[in-house]
Amino acid sequence: MQWRRLRRSWCSYLFLAGALALAQQRSFVSCPIVRDTKTVPCFLAEYDGELYYLGIQQDITSEFHPPQLKHEVLVEGRIAEGPRVCGGVPLQPVSISVLKEVNLACNTLLPAEPGIEAPAALRGAGPSSRRSEGGRASRETLSGRHEFEVLYAFNDDYLEYASNLVVTEAAAYAKQVRASKVNIAGYRATTLLSNGDRLVEKAGLAEKRAQNVATLLRGLGVSGVSVEWKTEAVPADGRTDASRRRVTILVTP
Amino acid sequence: MRRLGLIISVFVFGIALTLSAQYQSSFKLTWIEPGSGQILPEVDSFDSVEGTLGVLNASGPVNTDNHPFFTPLGTNGRACVNCHQPTYAMSVSAAGLRERWRLTEGKDPVFAAFDGSNCPGLAQDKESSHSLLLKRGLFRIPLPWPPRNPDGSPKPVEFTIEVVRDPAGCNISPEYGLKSAQPTISVYRRPRPAANLKYVISGGQPIVLKTGTLADVDPETGKPVSMNLMSDAREPTLKTQALSAIMGHEQARLAPSAQQIEKIIEFESQVFAAQAAHIFGGSLVDPGGPAGLGPVALRDHRAGVLGDNDYDPVFGSFDAWKGTDYYRSSVARGADIFMFRQFWLRDAAHINSIGLGNPLKRTCATCHNAQMSGQDLSAGWVDVGTTNYPTWTEPATWAESSELPVFKITCARDADPHPYLGRIIYTTDPGRALISGRCVDVGSIVMQQFRGLSARAPYFANGSAKTLREVVDFYDRRFDMKLTDQEKEDLINFLGSL
Repeated sequence: MQWRRLRRSWCSYLFLAGALALAQQRSFVSCPIVRDTKTVPCFLAEYDGELYYLGIQQDITSEFHPPQLKHEVLVEGRIAEGPRVCGGVPLQPVSISVLKEVNLACNTLLPAEPGIEAPAALRGAGPSSRRSEGGRASRETLSGRHEFEVLYAFNDDYLEYASNLVVTEAAAYAKQVRASKVNIAGYRATTLLSNGDRLVEKAGLAEKRAQNVATLLRGLGVSGVSVEWKTEAVPADGRTDASRRRVTILVTP
Repeated sequence: MRRLGLIISVFVFGIALTLSAQYQSSFKLTWIEPGSGQILPEVDSFDSVEGTLGVLNASGPVNTDNHPFFTPLGTNGRACVNCHQPTYAMSVSAAGLRERWRLTEGKDPVFAAFDGSNCPGLAQDKESSHSLLLKRGLFRIPLPWPPRNPDGSPKPVEFTIEVVRDPAGCNISPEYGLKSAQPTISVYRRPRPAANLKYVISGGQPIVLKTGTLADVDPETGKPVSMNLMSDAREPTLKTQALSAIMGHEQARLAPSAQQIEKIIEFESQVFAAQAAHIFGGSLVDPGGPAGLGPVALRDHRAGVLGDNDYDPVFGSFDAWKGTDYYRSSVARGADIFMFRQFWLRDAAHINSIGLGNPLKRTCATCHNAQMSGQDLSAGWVDVGTTNYPTWTEPATWAESSELPVFKITCARDADPHPYLGRIIYTTDPGRALISGRCVDVGSIVMQQFRGLSARAPYFANGSAKTLREVVDFYDRRFDMKLTDQEKEDLINFLGSL
């Protein structure tokens, strides 16, 4: 009896937590808005009457890669606590996918205004002042079987800088441990938008992602590479959809 | 007061005229003919539009006698030196080519029908058949369509290409064109300087940042290459480039020997060319001045260093010239504009589209970031807009009636479109896309080095800017930089000093 009550309360808790997380989640497609400031520009997007802050212009090594005017953007983020930034409700973490087709209507560049300031940037709008451009902290020492994860923007197989580094690291590790097997698995995914619509990545993308990574690994001198992919799109949960657009590289010594 | 002003103006004008006359009387331009057998000194200087170009043979005097760089190896009488003349910073200027036409009545092998004319099928004795070379310094580059893999098999392509306009007639020619037995696209491009090459070939990374794909490799060593060597990065190494140039531009029937190729590369790798003096500013390489100027600096500096920073800039510091005479102060201000003047970089494929955002508030040095050369340290093809409608240089920069072809590119529905122009693109040169077959690459051209500019007008790969002023004006328009006249003059002086 007590066990049943406990299970019911756990279920209620999980349901509530899930509902709360979903309530804090914003997934939408809209035109990005660029707001100039005294320093670097802020990137924003409007959805359902609210303005959201996505991030600022940084460097190629930064985790946030800004959207692009002339393109709509798929924003998948979680409302963060704290005051507005650059006039927008901050989303953190946030995933940005620039949609491929050109949309000339996406062309809003707002001038700098007194009182609207960008958060501190590691790099300003001029040349870099940082002497070390390393960017990423070095990965922990790896051993044994290890899975590397390469993430993608929606409907895209382009390897941005961070993903490019993951592949390079995976190749280095596979060579270091003289991997007996390197299994690559490609996925495409679905995104649940806040308005209830679902966006499904195009067919064939999982294979293309996986094959591209395999080509890179082979080109980087890794042998014993096998490739597989899921033809069906991974279903959406509305919270972790951005992390399901991926390729995994499983390195077995 | 007004009369005093007039007297001063006349006096200043008189001095300028005298200096100019002295300069003109000592004007030294030397066209090296293949097989002339001369000795090139270790240090040489040539008059350029605004002063003196310095050329350094770092390994000492070069005997050109039987040297494969200076000896015709093919069937049309050309050698490498025809298009890579020391007097023009190891490239060749349109003015120099016009002079050569006049002196040889069009008989110089540089005007060979194959690529020194608008199309081989034209009457070769007519100046009009060589108009792209004579007016803009453009050689015909015939490229197979579809592009080929190294084994000769066709590459998959993401677009169709149609010839919309073809004043020169080569692309619609039944013999040489797109519908010929060997379908060919002819584009017209400037020869790049065969100098300062250690900077051009440095910086190879295994994965190309701009595409997320594997970089081309040196076929002999398997190591990744910079992919900055040619305007479309089609040749990976100096060796493959030399071989391709001899078989193509020199129309050789037999491949050159390994020793000949080695000697060409040895020569190219030790030549450094840069502006060394200015007509009114004097020597640019005096002690205590900017350390990045002149050919000796190019010889001594380390290649492959990122200069997009404020502590070790692309062409070094020009602070020593701040507040000095008019010219030097202007150059120093120009260097600051290049490094620090912010503007909105917009709609440039392979810059804005690689995760940096569109627009990007940055400076010239963001893209022209490699120390001493001003190229991109990563594989540097970018669609800055010179060849693609609507920002193309015709007719805004090239004000005369354009003789460049215009192609219509239609991207396949399942391909990624050009990031800012979509699926239908009109272009005078598809650039890298003619090699990669990719839509996103249409109009992307590998940026070129900034050295010896005063000696080798016109500029841009399509020769559309007759002067550095036109280069600066193009960027001012393209990126709405709102440069003042003073800023433009400073930038021009800076670029001319390199």
